[in-house]
Amino acid sequence: MSANALLGGEVVYYAAGGRWSPHLADAFVARTEAEAESLEAARAAAEAQGAVVEPELAPVGTDAGGRLVPSHYREKIRALGPTVRTDLGPQAAGENAHVSL
Amino acid sequence: MKLLDRNGLKPDPWVRSEEIVPTEALLVPVAALDAALAARHDGQRIGAALPNTYRPADLAPVQDRLELVAIDFPKFSDGRGFSIAKGLREQGYRGTLRASGALIPDQFAFALHVGFDEIELSDARAERQPVAQWLHALTLIHDSYQDGADGAVSILKRRRLAAGAGA
Amino acid sequence: MYRYDEFDAAVVRDRVAQFREQVQRRLDGSLTEEEFTPLRLMNGLYLQLHAYMLRIAVPYGTLVSRQLRQLAMIADKYDRGYGHFTTRQNLQLNWPKLAEVPDLLDDLADVEMHCIQTSGNCIRNVTADHFAGVAADEVEDPRPTAELIRQWSTLHPEFSFLPRKFKIAVTGAARDRAAVAVHDIGLRLVRNDDGEIGYKVLVGGGLGRTPMIGKIIRDFLPKDELLAYLEAIMRVYNLEGRRDNKYKARIKILVHEIGTDAFIARVEAEYAKLDGASVNADPAELARIAAYFAPPEYESLPAVSEGFEAAKARDPDFARFAATNLFPHKVPGYTAITVSVKPIGAPPGDATSDQMRALADLAELYSADELRITHVQNVVLPHVKLDDVHALWSALVEAGLETPNAGLITDIIACPGMDYCKLATARSIPIAQAIATRFADAERQALIGELGIKISGCINACGHHHVGAIGILGLDKAGVENYQITLGGDPGEQASLGQRLGPGIDAEAVPEAIERIVDTYLDVRAGAAETFIETVRRVGLDPFKPALQPREAQLEAA
Repeated sequence: MSANALLGGEVVYYAAGGRWSPHLADAFVARTEAEAESLEAARAAAEAQGAVVEPELAPVGTDAGGRLVPSHYREKIRALGPTVRTDLGPQAAGENAHVSL
Repeated sequence: MKLLDRNGLKPDPWVRSEEIVPTEALLVPVAALDAALAARHDGQRIGAALPNTYRPADLAPVQDRLELVAIDFPKFSDGRGFSIAKGLREQGYRGTLRASGALIPDQFAFALHVGFDEIELSDARAERQPVAQWLHALTLIHDSYQDGADGAVSILKRRRLAAGAGA
Repeated sequence: MYRYDEFDAAVVRDRVAQFREQVQRRLDGSLTEEEFTPLRLMNGLYLQLHAYMLRIAVPYGTLVSRQLRQLAMIADKYDRGYGHFTTRQNLQLNWPKLAEVPDLLDDLADVEMHCIQTSGNCIRNVTADHFAGVAADEVEDPRPTAELIRQWSTLHPEFSFLPRKFKIAVTGAARDRAAVAVHDIGLRLVRNDDGEIGYKVLVGGGLGRTPMIGKIIRDFLPKDELLAYLEAIMRVYNLEGRRDNKYKARIKILVHEIGTDAFIARVEAEYAKLDGASVNADPAELARIAAYFAPPEYESLPAVSEGFEAAKARDPDFARFAATNLFPHKVPGYTAITVSVKPIGAPPGDATSDQMRALADLAELYSADELRITHVQNVVLPHVKLDDVHALWSALVEAGLETPNAGLITDIIACPGMDYCKLATARSIPIAQAIATRFADAERQALIGELGIKISGCINACGHHHVGAIGILGLDKAGVENYQITLGGDPGEQASLGQRLGPGIDAEAVPEAIERIVDTYLDVRAGAAETFIETVRRVGLDPFKPALQPREAQLEAA
């Protein structure tokens, strides 16, 4: 689950224990039906609670190195930053370098 | 339910009922209005509660017999009630106009400008957005570019008046 | 250029203070996110993929140098040192922080600028012809009208919670450079047989998922009746526009569903009931506003500037710029310069804060302190002496703003697309960059001539692809970006919507497909004077369809 932080607007990921992290690597991954349901419930709760804005669920996989890789190009772009400005977004700090479109 | 106007909270003498009851002030859904007017006892005040899909012109034949018209706002983002209120005032309705439902304090000034006199809120809403916030909201925008039924004079007009006074 | 009086200034400052409190109430929970969202949208603050986005209003696209310098400062102070000019003449910042926005708004208010109603279900920025006041074919400068509408529509108590957004454009010339036919309300200043000036009123135009051309509902509306008539239209829309389906909530759907005649009848009925005297502006007020748009003191100059001609003769790069980026000015010896914000290979419409400062300096020095933002995402310096063009161009070269491509194939409109926008289904900027790079050669561009490519990264059509001579729409096809090409769109007085050429293609295939479309045009055009759009109108789409097939298939077919 990703969202935008309320004050700064930056992308944050829902991590185990219910905290929000700016790092994709920390994201909680739902692997079973039950986990998926609880993640959806967490999404609804986050939306109602309002500490983050527009929480959404997105599919992820893992690469050969076991690192999380979003499945769809939209979340990949979210994890990196604008593809036309590689000096902006998480990619500028070398974050998520293993993600490519 | 809480009732407030530009001066703050006030008691609500109106009883909302789908049925015709002999209360001193009876607010019925508009579908029951004809019956309520027919059954009206001496001294009884009748009000109509309108959904926000109602056409103001349809109320014209009986508007002079009504002391209250309440317009429902099912969602604060649904602004039809503002046009209904404006239409009622333009066709000469002189009674009290009430906006009820899901409004937020940021709409209070708009409501007064288009001709509402009062806002009816659920207790839960009034808890989350206390009357003080509502009254404070009225102090934030001092001038408007449009005339208001509440006496607001449009900036466009005030410029002309100032120009005239200076001449 | 309009200057605020104390009323205008107070409204803007009050709105900032109000927004500051709204942010507080969001943080303390008295406003839910659902309640706060329209309030922040009504102050131009969106949420995008990576961050918030703030849309700053540039009313009818007009700015003075002091304002552009302040925008540059704001881009540095609160953002990442650049801004994006939009298809509605506004400026967008892509990285503001919610907590800092109220201070940013105060910095805007210092130069008579704001973000009021640049988003939300309310009346948006009123756009106008970017050559207002200087075009020879102008009946009247549309900007006083646009400024009057801006004021009337600001924080309007009745029309702040409409079914959907509402966009108004005004043009004062025979050539429509404001795309009024694809706006919710389009106004054309016209002269009647008695020589009086009034408005032709169009309603129900728009792009997005159901593009439509606006319908004329009044051939001639006297100027003094404008605001009351607009109120009548807005009231019908507010009451009857659909609220059940956000994709069917624009006024164009209402006009389409009940029919133009029925719509006109409802508007006229409301208009008859309205208290016009209370709403309409006193003609003296319109005159007061119009006085601010009086032309600058022009010098009396010959139509031909020897210095300008000599510079063209000795410098081919300058000659090329002069051939493409100058607009004929109604005053002899002057010109309006289009500064292209489409350098080859760069994101269309993006300017750095340094470039903004450079433009501000040039406006002050050479253009009576005035600039315009166009809905094609470029900048116009409207009052330049031909004598000064070479010096100005030299400065543009230093600032990286000299691209001689105004109106040409590399002058591409693109929305931010999926590189920035949450609504997008595909990226648009890389497509624009690839096409521009493919067609970078200046001589080839000159050979091709006027050709408007417009790219949208989703069906909401913020890139105006429906009215592109070549339109490109980016979609998601099974998790892969896929692009549909349309031909034959036009935003002007002969407004038309593009038609789909064929099935969508991959991103990599787009530049090649455009190349083949252009080659076909060059083959079949009736001489160099026939523009791309004229050729498409004449021959239809069939000659262009093979352009979408992969080259191997073409060779097989041959």
